[in-house]
Amino acid sequence: MRFSDLVHLCRQNLFRRKSRTILTVLGVVVGCCSIVTMVSLGSGIDEQNKQMLASMGDLTIITVTGANNTGGMGMADGSGTATARIDDKAVKDFRSLQYVAGATGHVTYLDAILTAGPANRYVDQNGVIEAIDMTQFDAMDYQLDSGRKPNRQGDVLAGQYTAYDFIDSLRPESDNFRMRPSYLADSCTPEQRAEGCEDKSDAQDPFFNILTTKITVGAAQTDDSGNVASSSTPTASNGQTAEGSGSGTQIQVSGLLKEDNGKGQATSSGLLMDIAALKDLVAKIHPDAAAGTLAYDSALVRVQDIDHVADVESQIRTMGFTTSSSRDMLDSLKEQTRSIQLILGGIGAVALLVAAIGIANTMVMSVTERVREIGIMKALGCTVHDIRAMFLVEAGAIGVIGGVIGCLVSALISLAINLIRYGGVSAEHLQWAILGNGTGDEAARISVIPWWLYVFAIAFATLISLISGFGPANKAVRVPALDAIKSNQ
Amino acid sequence: MAWLASPPPTANTDASIASDASAVPDASGALATPAPRTARHNGTHPASERPMIEVRNLRKEYVMGTERVIALDRINLDIARGQICCIYGESGSGKSTLLNQLAGMERPTRGGVRIGGIVVSRLDERELAEFRQKHIGFVFQSYNLLPGLNAVENVAMPLMFRGVPREEREARARAMLRRVGLGKSLNHYPSQMSGGQQQRVGIARAFVTRPQVVFADEPTGNLDSKTKVDIMDMIRDFARENGQTIVLVTHDDHMAAYADRIVTLLDGRIVHDTEQDR
Repeated sequence: MRFSDLVHLCRQNLFRRKSRTILTVLGVVVGCCSIVTMVSLGSGIDEQNKQMLASMGDLTIITVTGANNTGGMGMADGSGTATARIDDKAVKDFRSLQYVAGATGHVTYLDAILTAGPANRYVDQNGVIEAIDMTQFDAMDYQLDSGRKPNRQGDVLAGQYTAYDFIDSLRPESDNFRMRPSYLADSCTPEQRAEGCEDKSDAQDPFFNILTTKITVGAAQTDDSGNVASSSTPTASNGQTAEGSGSGTQIQVSGLLKEDNGKGQATSSGLLMDIAALKDLVAKIHPDAAAGTLAYDSALVRVQDIDHVADVESQIRTMGFTTSSSRDMLDSLKEQTRSIQLILGGIGAVALLVAAIGIANTMVMSVTERVREIGIMKALGCTVHDIRAMFLVEAGAIGVIGGVIGCLVSALISLAINLIRYGGVSAEHLQWAILGNGTGDEAARISVIPWWLYVFAIAFATLISLISGFGPANKAVRVPALDAIKSNQ
Repeated sequence: MAWLASPPPTANTDASIASDASAVPDASGALATPAPRTARHNGTHPASERPMIEVRNLRKEYVMGTERVIALDRINLDIARGQICCIYGESGSGKSTLLNQLAGMERPTRGGVRIGGIVVSRLDERELAEFRQKHIGFVFQSYNLLPGLNAVENVAMPLMFRGVPREEREARARAMLRRVGLGKSLNHYPSQMSGGQQQRVGIARAFVTRPQVVFADEPTGNLDSKTKVDIMDMIRDFARENGQTIVLVTHDDHMAAYADRIVTLLDGRIVHDTEQDR
């Protein structure tokens, strides 16, 4: 018997028992849908994690935060904790480790007030100034948002959102700041808007362009207890602050850094400069403070690739330092994701199993119902092999049809889930949901179906159908040809 | 020939069949490439002289609960090529059981059946299927058409099992259906046809493969007397045309009148065997 004839017969048989075929296929569709949807939620978690990690910045950075007391004591050669200080020598040692792309000491200076604009009306009371070894700028993979790279000793870079930290001291308190776009809600309903909600459409540029405006760095007024004066309200000290310091130094920002939380706060809000430049600056605005106090508070080490982070980190620890990196979090995140995916996949598999039982039931019924037909066919010379093939093709067809429809339905379900998560249908949301090319937290999909999942689901549904059709097919084969003649209607 | 000689009633007939079967190593291929012994036999006699169907010392028992029912016993029968042989008997006489043994639908308890030189009772499932495809046609009392297929597809079915391409087999089926007078009902389904029409489809299906032997089990059992005559005429004409052997099982005297030979069964044994001139 030819395969085309088998397919033709199978089509006729399935068509003849339309309602039963439809119900069985429906069972497969549900099973297939649940497995695809469940796994897609699992891969959605993956995508969300990926987006989240991307927003956390460079994952190859190890932050060395200080001496590791236990590690230091463990060193029996007597070098002890005393040598485990973050200094130029330690940074050099880090740089010489295998797989290390770059390393730099890191200084944070908090005692500054930044002002800008006419009459220094724009004030940032909590100006953060960080300093690194600028020769490591590329090796550490700092990224620029705009402007140019630091190529001279005194070049200063600003964080991506530094300009938003300035308040306009001449405006009323309720309206003296500009919100970073990323802090605004995606969208506000009219009711929320009435209560003061602002969304992306309300985003405004900062008061001034930080790349073209000179910034004055002044010393923060400290009170007796050593707290920075900014604890008093900005409006109360408006204007006075900058003038009061008297010793402000003007600087020009040459470039805007891209936010990267792995590389210090200055990439987001603050200023970044070379360590020598910071020393000069501090000497100018705080003549009484000794420049020597500007010790490294930490060191940043960048590893060539993420696979070697653990290795390098443990080497630095044995040198007697405490470190932190995203590795631990990454590991636990992966583990958590995997167990959730297993649970979701399990639920889907149960549904497909139920569908398989449904197929087996249909096929058993089909054999029982067709005992007579099978007998006739055998009497007319149909081989046992062909009869088995006939039933397997039928079962397989149910699986393939159910699998394909199931995949289409799952695609729609997945689309719907994502659109609901995005909060509505729009061209942009559709693009994010279908192509998955949205970036940032707000574009992460809840349900992601990779192409192989469709292939797998259809293959799995077909396989399950064939397996559950196998028993009934063998039962059909054993029907004695005699029954065709014996059973008179 | 040992096989053809009637063994003594007490002899182990299984053994005699077995020894003969071993002389025909590949039973299913025997027609195409005769085994040496068959070839020698055919060499000394014209092929047509050898009986188309040979039954030797056939016995069939059924176990019904704890009881043993002997459905057939000591059946010896030769049916010549081209003969229309009627197996006649009341219901329960064992005639349907005999038909099943002849067609290889059931295995005999003892004894053997040869059709065209092939020991049918020793073929396995697959060989039997091929054997039926090539050499056997069936006409059933209850027509046994497949309800999901139309007339053409039903007639073409045996050809489909043989792997004949769809267009060719349907062309042959249509030609066959025209010959049985159903040229206007080619695409009708069994449920749209009368009993007589369905049986014509059944006849077309039985003869479409040009089998050497056609078994007909009460082919007119469910039909009115006028249709009966049509159907029997049709079967007889087809058989005569191609020299096909017909084994007709019936308990209807009128139908028996169509046969060249009437073998009467009673309680599982042959009680009469009469040839009639036509």
